[in-house]
Parts: sequence; C-alpha cells; structure tokens
Amino acid sequence: MERVRARDDAAFEALYDAYHRLVFGIGLRMLGDPTMAEDVTQTVFLKIWSAPDAFRGGSFVAWVSRVTRNRALDVLRSRSARPESEIPADLPLDGALEDDVFARLDAQRLRDALATLPADQRSLIEQGFFGGVTHSELAQRTDTPLGTVKTRIRTGLQRLRRALGEEVS
Amino acid sequence: MDGTAREKMLELVALYALGVLPREDAALVAAFIANDDEARAEYLDLRAAADALALTADEPVDSARTARMKERLMARVRAGVPADGSIARRRFAPTPAWFVGAGLLTAAAVIFSLVTVTQDVSLRGDLAAAQRRATTLQTQMAQGERTSARTRDDLTQTLTDLVSPDARHYEVAQGTVVVRGQHIYFALSKLPALPRGHVYQAWTAAKGSAVMQPSITFTPNGSGVAVVALPVDAQKVGTVAVSVEPEGGSKAPTTTPTFVRPLT
Repeated sequence: MERVRARDDAAFEALYDAYHRLVFGIGLRMLGDPTMAEDVTQTVFLKIWSAPDAFRGGSFVAWVSRVTRNRALDVLRSRSARPESEIPADLPLDGALEDDVFARLDAQRLRDALATLPADQRSLIEQGFFGGVTHSELAQRTDTPLGTVKTRIRTGLQRLRRALGEEVS
Repeated sequence: MDGTAREKMLELVALYALGVLPREDAALVAAFIANDDEARAEYLDLRAAADALALTADEPVDSARTARMKERLMARVRAGVPADGSIARRRFAPTPAWFVGAGLLTAAAVIFSLVTVTQDVSLRGDLAAAQRRATTLQTQMAQGERTSARTRDDLTQTLTDLVSPDARHYEVAQGTVVVRGQHIYFALSKLPALPRGHVYQAWTAAKGSAVMQPSITFTPNGSGVAVVALPVDAQKVGTVAVSVEPEGGSKAPTTTPTFVRPLT
C-alpha cells in the first residue's frame, strides 16, 4: 500500500491481481449478478487508488472486504427500500486474531471451520454476512424467533472464533 | 445494568460485529462497547471471526472477466482518477449499473410520454418533458446516494472511534467521554429525562481556559442514551461539560452542569 500511496500504478496492478478475486467474489455473493459485481470491483479498486489513506493499517484483506461489503450494500439499498444495517467500523485490529486469520487461512480452511458450526447457526451467519439484511429480516426470512436468531448468531460467531483460533495456533 | 440486560446487550454486540444490526441500534451498541471493557473485548473477537467470513467468497474468476475488469480499471487509473473518491467520480464516469438504472428510468419516462400521446399531446414535447423529468430524477437519485454515503461515513467514523482500542476514555457519572485523534464524543447511557422544552447542551473550554464555549444541543432517547460527536478539534479542548438548557441552547450555562470533565 505504501507504493500505491506513492502513485505506483504497477504496485496497484499487483494489488488488483492479488485481491480482485476476493472483491469480485464478495460482490457476487451479495448481489448475485456478475455485472454488478464487476461494477463493485471497479469502484472498490478505484477508491483504493484515489484515496489510499482510507486504509489506516491492520489487515488489508479485512479492510478491503468491509469496503466491498459496504459498496455492495449501497447497491442493494438502491435496488429496494430496506432497513440499513451497519457494517462494523473499519478500525485496524493490530495484533488481533484477524491478522493471523487473514495471513494464514485460505478460503477452503475457512469454509472447513465454518462447516464445524451447526447448520442453523452457519446459515444465519452466512445470510447475515452476505445478505445485507438486518437480524429482524433474518428472523422473518427463516421464520425463526428474533431471540433465537440473536442467540444463534452470537453462539455461532463464538464457535467460529474458537475454531479459527485453533486453526491459526 | 443487571445480568440479563447485559447478556441481551452482548447479543447485540455479536449482531453488530456481523453487520446485521440496524443503523439506529448500532450507535446504542457502540456506546455500550465504549463503556464496557468486556463488551469491547468480545466485540473485537467476534468481529475478527465475522470478517474472516469474507474469505469464503474468494473463488476463481474466469480469465476473460479478470482481463476485462483489469483493462477497464487500469484505463481509468492511467487516465487519472479524481482524488475525491468513488462517489463523486460516479457523476463523471457512470458505471454500467448506473447506465442500466438511468436507461430504465429514461425508458419509464418515455413510456409515460407515449401514454400521453393517446391523450392528444405532442410526442416531441412529451419526450422533451420526459427527458427533463428523467434528468431531474437522476439528479435526485445521485444527490440521495451522496447524502446517504456521507451520513454513513460520518456514522462509521463515530463508531470506529468509539470502539477503537486507541481511543482515550474519560468516565463521567452518565457514561464516557471518548477522545480519538481530533474527535470528541459523548457516549452517555444514564441521562435523566428532560423537562419539557429543554435539551442537553455540550460545552467546551480551550486548554488553559476556564471559559465555557457553547457547543451542540442534544436529546437522549427514551432509555437515556445519547451518542454525540462534538464539532470541535479535540487537540484544542481541555475540558468538556454538559448542562440542561432551554430548547435552542444558551450562550452560557444557566443550570448546574450535569457533568464537567477535564480531558486529562
């Protein structure tokens, strides 16, 4: 990112090569439309190029993932009136599990960790992360009491966190 | 807060970490996190787990699409992208989705104009009117998008600062004053209900000064919670305070301050 900040377009190209799959993949999972996912990918990378200081340290992968989710959420919101969920703030988590996870886990190992969760927890967490919906909408979609949705999400994230901790340790 | 209420708040922390909490609730949770070390630790843990879910979307992209996307992107980069970010840029270089949206809008306007033809109205005049309507709607949509993005950016900045490990926290009886970088926030959760016609007002005193300057007014929600960003440069402020004032605010405190907190 230091070279990108210095307007090195070769470095930016390398950054694109390394992360476009992830950015496009998140856009595709959230929007279900390859053309829109392409648009999101272009917007995200142009943001990186035009405002590299927006990345303030920590895990770049985590940051670019949040930027992508936010951009895809904007598209979802423009397509239909829906309550606005709030993606967590993009503060860097220096030295946290996050750095290890993104540095040492790949997609398959993450999927394996996710697969250790009970199906009802896994489904809610995946729908929540990629669906751009609120917990109330999740409850309606899955015909599950709101309290149960909250408990399953919290328990599921705690389990996933433990599983990831074991993976990277 | 009793154990049950606290447990419920911790469930909301998990929802916030996953990004499924409505925006209006997110500020409440951020205030809770800012005031509770255990909640902050849980939030950071669960957010790391939630963020990791992004990796499951990392799948191969077909080479033709990859090449096309890269060609578009690098052409924009080499042509010089404005330095003011993606939202403003969309005004100058519409993306395919924008063209689709604008196209649909224009098509809808044209259909509307064709309907009016059957009512003996000039086709050319209607098309021109339809195009004007489409242009107006496009402008309104773009303005709405920019406003929404700006509001979200402001809120995101607030939440970022409130839960950041490097923020400084100054406890007061009603919650916490949070300082991060140039920003000062009140994350208050125990504010008494206000008498009718009154508001809370923030005050700031410059470093080395005892003179309170008026700042913004605010009203807590029904649970006594308020998250407030003060429009001042934290680097220049030595003391903050809050008092109850008549609606519209005062030029100097007229009641005993709810709290006075030196930022040291």
